[in-house]
Amino acid sequence: MTYIEVDGLSKRFGDTVALDDVSFAVPDGEFVIVLGVSGSGKSTLLRALSGLLSPTDGEIAIAGESMVGPRPEVAMIFQQHNIIGDMTAYSNSLSGGVHRSGFLSSVLQLQDDAEKHRALDALDTVGLLDEAEQKARSMSGGQQQRIGIARALVQQPNVLLADEPVASLDPGSAQSVMGYLRTASEDRGLTTFCSLHQVNIARKFGHRFIGLRDGEKVFDGYRDDLTIEVIDDIYGDIDTEGMFVRDDGDADAPTDEVATS
Amino acid sequence: MTPDTTDSDGTAGAFDADTDVPDRIADQFENIRRTRRRRALGWLGLFAFLAFATLQAFAATELLNPDARLGTFTDSLTGFFPITSYFGVVPFLDLGQYVAFIRQENLLYDPEIGGLLFQFPPNPTDVYAFFFRELGIFQIFGEAGITLAMGFVGTVLGFPVALVFGTLGSERVTPFPFNFLFRGTMSFIRAVPAIIWTLIFIPFLGLGPSSAAIAIAFDTIGNLGRLFVDELEEIEDGPIEAMETTGASKPQVVFFGMLSQVRTAFIAWTLYIFEINVRIGVTVGVIGAGGLGYVLASQQNLLRFTNMMATLLAIFFLIISVELFSQRLRSRLRSDEVQMGIWELITGFPRRMAESMLK
Repeated sequence: MTYIEVDGLSKRFGDTVALDDVSFAVPDGEFVIVLGVSGSGKSTLLRALSGLLSPTDGEIAIAGESMVGPRPEVAMIFQQHNIIGDMTAYSNSLSGGVHRSGFLSSVLQLQDDAEKHRALDALDTVGLLDEAEQKARSMSGGQQQRIGIARALVQQPNVLLADEPVASLDPGSAQSVMGYLRTASEDRGLTTFCSLHQVNIARKFGHRFIGLRDGEKVFDGYRDDLTIEVIDDIYGDIDTEGMFVRDDGDADAPTDEVATS
Repeated sequence: MTPDTTDSDGTAGAFDADTDVPDRIADQFENIRRTRRRRALGWLGLFAFLAFATLQAFAATELLNPDARLGTFTDSLTGFFPITSYFGVVPFLDLGQYVAFIRQENLLYDPEIGGLLFQFPPNPTDVYAFFFRELGIFQIFGEAGITLAMGFVGTVLGFPVALVFGTLGSERVTPFPFNFLFRGTMSFIRAVPAIIWTLIFIPFLGLGPSSAAIAIAFDTIGNLGRLFVDELEEIEDGPIEAMETTGASKPQVVFFGMLSQVRTAFIAWTLYIFEINVRIGVTVGVIGAGGLGYVLASQQNLLRFTNMMATLLAIFFLIISVELFSQRLRSRLRSDEVQMGIWELITGFPRRMAESMLK
């Protein structure tokens, strides 16, 4: 069943074409990885999907409803985390669900226990339950990104958008953050869009891949279709040796690697 | 060797003084000299104008023909700084006179109220009376306490309004033309000094600390609100967008996405304004609103210069204490270190003072 439908999506900033007539349909529960070099339109695509940007042309429909602005059922995770450094991990997590409470009760943290349990459960999902009362600013980049995931989960979305969630992290943290992201989306049956520029991580965690180049969709397919030629096409004429690991069993069982820390 | 304008053989420094300089270089040299000369003339003109304008201003302030009375001033200085002979021989400042006046007028400590708290053995009824009947924690500091309380009340009452006006005055919260409703109000409040606001409130609350406190609260709205607006200009878009994608309402986006980014900055600015408000408390006291400023003004009217100086010392002591306290607290807030408890802030003060003096 088609859950997200993007039809003829274009976005221009002045003379710059960020997205050019991109169309695809994604069924419920797929883990989609958006690949492309910097400036290929990955961020623009995700921001349009989240409702933060309105498209110049074309339409985005999620659950049959056109995206005209941010919606609670579509959650977003950012490259720069964008969590609130001055608040604790728990308060940050709790802030994902403020759309369900009024202004005063969210400001004074007077939500009911179910809501608070949900925030702690999300922190548990990303392995930060014990660090719940730590100031977010004092935590490492990987931990901050996991708080970002927890906040998105507390929102109780159906769609999870992640804009280069591991771009600013070291390889170890990147693996673990991707693992938590994958677990969360599988356990909760979320349709997930994740933009990445590390091909090895992409292959390890993705089901489906959408390749963008200069704002145009140049690839749309599943793991087996993602060959060296396709990578070359997406990334242009660069040396892809070593970026690409042939199937060696490890990549066929991505969930084995998930959430071990 | 003929003069060569292209000078491509790289024999730099081979020219004789005037004759051999290539035209290109001579032209550029002349060019630079002309520019320099023009610039120097410009500066000269500016200074001449400034001197002329200053002369006019001197005339307007009657400094050209001052009614100077150096003798009277020297006389007053002996009043400001009374001299006595210690041990019958060593002439030095008579600090005893200052202390006597400070004690006599309860400038820094009110023994009547303080007596309730400091007695041995402690009397629970009196301690209760101190806190809940006399409400003495500011009054124990006598006149200084009144001045301090004016600044404190002004800050506490002004803060919430400043917060609302500052937030709504930001262009990111209220769209462009409408935010000027709030910015304009704050500009208007700032245009009127606190001392004038006190005069305005006298018909309402009478001449005393109450109208001064309300006036300071008004002043706080204008100044603190402006600082809040400026601080909100600096925030990052990221957390705001993040809160938007959670589906939060507009007030929630403002609170979680914007205000939470500037929380420590707001607290620090508020402490800074509190420092300033205590100083304003002294100033408005001079026109009769009470506290140390009032004592200062009345002693000046009586030409009791020694008492005036004693009051000045009390003011100095009050302001320095408030600034020390507020600045320590602010630097704690701004740093990412684990925050010091208020108890350690007070009890650890002598040690930290000693440490920083040894550095």
